[in-house]
Amino acid sequence: MPSTERTDGTAQVPADGSRGDGEATAEFVEQWRNAAYNCYSSGHKFCREVCPVMQVTRNEVHTPTAFHANVVAMEKGLLSIEDVARDYVHCTQCGACELRCPNTLFTGDFYRFRTRTVQLVRAMRALAVDSGIHQPNWQRWVEETTRQKSEPVLGEVPVSQENVRNWADGLDIAVGGETILFCDCEGAFHRTSVPRAAARILQHAGVEFGLMREQWCCGGPAAEMGYVDRAREFAQHNVDDWRAVGAKRVIVFDPHDYISFTEDYPSYFGDDYDVEIVLMVDLVAELIRDGKLALTQPVERVVTYHDACRLNKRKGIHETPREVLRAIPGLTFKDVDHVTQWSYCSGAGAGLGIERPDLTAEISRRRVERAAGLGIDTLVSACVWSERPLSEQGGMRDDPVEVMDLLELVAHAAGIDDDTGRSEPAR
Amino acid sequence: MIGFRLSAQQPPEPERVNDTVVKRFDHVYEVDPALMQEHVRQHEFPAWETKRIVDGRWDHLDWMHAHWADRVLSGEELLAESAQPDQLDDEGVRPE
Amino acid sequence: MTATMVTDPVINELVQICGTDHVFADRSARVNRARVPAPFPVHRWADLIPDVVVLPTSPEQIAEVVKLANRHRIPVVPRAGGTGLTDGAVPLRHGILVDVKLMNEILEIDLEDRAVTVQPGINMLKLNEELRPHGVIYPDDPASYPCSLVGGRIGTSGWSLIGGRYGHTRDLVISFELVLPTGELIRVGDGGGRKVRKSSSGYQLKHLFMGHQGTLGIVTEATLELVPRPETEFAAFFSYPDYETAWRSTAALARSGLATLAGVVLFDEWKLAYLRRDDEAYIPQPDSVRCVVATAMYGTTDEVRPAAKRLLRIGQESGGNYLGDEISQGDWASRHDRYATPLHGRLRDGQVVPMSWHCEDASINWTALPQVRREWHDIVAQLADRYPIFDDWGMFAYTNGAFKPWGDYLTEIDVGIWEQELDDESWAAWVDAKRDIAAVALAHGGSISACHGSCREGEVDLVPQEMGGGFEVMKKVKRALDPNNIMNPGKYLLDQAYEGGDRL
Repeated sequence: MPSTERTDGTAQVPADGSRGDGEATAEFVEQWRNAAYNCYSSGHKFCREVCPVMQVTRNEVHTPTAFHANVVAMEKGLLSIEDVARDYVHCTQCGACELRCPNTLFTGDFYRFRTRTVQLVRAMRALAVDSGIHQPNWQRWVEETTRQKSEPVLGEVPVSQENVRNWADGLDIAVGGETILFCDCEGAFHRTSVPRAAARILQHAGVEFGLMREQWCCGGPAAEMGYVDRAREFAQHNVDDWRAVGAKRVIVFDPHDYISFTEDYPSYFGDDYDVEIVLMVDLVAELIRDGKLALTQPVERVVTYHDACRLNKRKGIHETPREVLRAIPGLTFKDVDHVTQWSYCSGAGAGLGIERPDLTAEISRRRVERAAGLGIDTLVSACVWSERPLSEQGGMRDDPVEVMDLLELVAHAAGIDDDTGRSEPAR
Repeated sequence: MIGFRLSAQQPPEPERVNDTVVKRFDHVYEVDPALMQEHVRQHEFPAWETKRIVDGRWDHLDWMHAHWADRVLSGEELLAESAQPDQLDDEGVRPE
Repeated sequence: MTATMVTDPVINELVQICGTDHVFADRSARVNRARVPAPFPVHRWADLIPDVVVLPTSPEQIAEVVKLANRHRIPVVPRAGGTGLTDGAVPLRHGILVDVKLMNEILEIDLEDRAVTVQPGINMLKLNEELRPHGVIYPDDPASYPCSLVGGRIGTSGWSLIGGRYGHTRDLVISFELVLPTGELIRVGDGGGRKVRKSSSGYQLKHLFMGHQGTLGIVTEATLELVPRPETEFAAFFSYPDYETAWRSTAALARSGLATLAGVVLFDEWKLAYLRRDDEAYIPQPDSVRCVVATAMYGTTDEVRPAAKRLLRIGQESGGNYLGDEISQGDWASRHDRYATPLHGRLRDGQVVPMSWHCEDASINWTALPQVRREWHDIVAQLADRYPIFDDWGMFAYTNGAFKPWGDYLTEIDVGIWEQELDDESWAAWVDAKRDIAAVALAHGGSISACHGSCREGEVDLVPQEMGGGFEVMKKVKRALDPNNIMNPGKYLLDQAYEGGDRL
């Protein structure tokens, strides 16, 4: 596995031939200086072995330690944004490093000051974009998203605004209402079985909900890749759409959307942002607990659960998915605890798979291999974005591992999936 | 309510524990914010963030115990056992 | 003194050896492989950057890189985790940095003869996750347990928190393979035999090639001890009203003769005051808690259970008050990855500033601990009076012996340094203080370092004094094995080995 693509001393030069904006860099360094020293001055590197990218590349420039040290080096004139922009591609923003960092885990709550590697990576990527340094595949991805209002995922359904609700064909879901089901791009155009399962579960349990009038990408990927203005445009549109139909709450099944709506949107809109964001898996657990969703169909599978990074590491949500799995009859659940899984990832996050598909594939391969070692037949995920690379790797094995979304499994156990009796997800 | 609402994330006002420490949540200490005015400024810290870190810390420590050994003995229980006057100790003799 | 220019033809040769994807000459790769946690003179970062970085994937590649370095007289600096608290991995003379992180495979798990063979880039916690299903563990447990790497543990001859029970790195590494400074690949152990723990055949070369801070070669493979995974852990923390009582209790506990006792740790009053700043376990403790002694045991339940009762009794009878399960268990679990965090730092007015953790360590006999403690705190107090960027974070004394936790102690004083304000003058004052701290250790019959190494600025000046005639032997060995002074030059005053021509 190549550690990086460069071997010479040449830095990336902006497309327009200019060097980075010194003023922008100075402002950036001023903003991140204390955070950078908070890492630099400890230098523990407890982040290294939990980082999914580092586990593969073993290249120190991809460590969260280096991501912080670079700010100090920029302050001292040792490095420029041109020198380091490409290094920051090597991050899935899974959050393992910043949670595992003693500056977060042992003292973050005490000082109300914690390691924020994810924010730093996003900020450095934004500085690169502002300085005219673009990663070609990300640039194309964001341009396409801007054009079609949804991400250019390669799926069954051609990506466009006309098709954004095609996944719901035949489900008879109204537009608008107090509760909106937000469907992310991967679910809308590729793994449509996940939003279909979500919708059927809600209908079955008697939860009233509707769809957006015009749903755009949540803006998260653009924000993660450093295209801040684009991300805000998407966010503004979506919030306007929610307000226009009088939505009071939004249900999301994709952990990436959950991050966008509970972290990015509040930072954009401040106290005016008053919508309730409900994570589908939390809602499913509650519906089961309240007796509104009965899981009666045995699912004869041996499964393990893949903790979604953005739930487990970034939000501390690891109990409800397990609670739901344990409620499914017939299932043999071989669990790996959520702390061990701080160092697990599919490699799909934050655009890594767009710029470094080789790394995403290898991270996924290792994740599936760990699952296979448990003697399971199915790897259950609660993150639709993880499911494509994990499925690809699971399918390539001599002893294939099937990858299912937790909601697909729940719909099956409730006897309400698209094709009851067929356990495979609709593809 | 199981959902996230920004308005519910505002942490309560701190109460003083000692000269340099305050508290907003049970069993969660924080630095007196007055000590972070000049050089390092505190972050915005929604309530869920504090909870995530505190829970993560205890989960991590539990994990570390389990990483090193199958079980952890309780000193409090051993002391209580040793305090039982009629009980034989592990060497089969009555404690003095 | 060797040349430091790495030219394009040299880089081309390195690419031939290691492959295109494993040779880096770009600025980011080099700047990020200059430093280790502490103490690092951040204001002089630019002087300590290697010329080129390689990430080899085999022992043979490392051997070829070292031979190339000899041909071109280019310094070579090995780097594993880069977590060391001395500057072994810092390239003082630039040159080729050999980063072994890509070599992190487990090569063999032998459950019959109880040994695991690994590459040098593997981390102990990660190794133990793989060993767990087999019911065995590799118990090398520094404060950097989740991030330091086996190669660095050998290069620095590391110390383990539970060494009183299981031994330290030198006791746990059965044998290893290394590339000598002239490029030959050899294996060293107690004698011969990859998995033989005790030999009286030949010289004891294993010890010679441990703790040399990269000046005598690069480890490429190691065969490590496997011990049964403990059934039971027991940790007990005791509090004391004064240092004298805690110090005497430490000895009583350490000399208990309980075979499962893995370590005893004495926290002094400064350490308690420091912990009360921000540690949830210590903030609520009453003022009467002035010092603490921590103990831990590992083993089978049949052994640990009765031993724990006796340990509790010894702790109480020697003046300790058991602090309860929550602090005993919680604090102990955190000791496996206990590095200081920068926001512990305080200025004199109490304001929080991000300070770097600088840990000065020495091996000190039990009888000398009280006096060393007084003198060390005085040195740091004088330093902090002159430069408020320094902050005394208190002292620990950890049992230091392998398998027999008594006699001498890893004694450390932790000092916070506000690196953002560091300059030449304050750095020089710090180096002087470090030298003074080392001098106190030697004056009281100790060793300058129990676990970090003693090759940093300041204390290194006293290494010839500590080693006596042994330092002359060190120089002869260095010159014999590394005739061109290419292995990590500038460390341990070993440049002196090349002065004076034939006199050596």
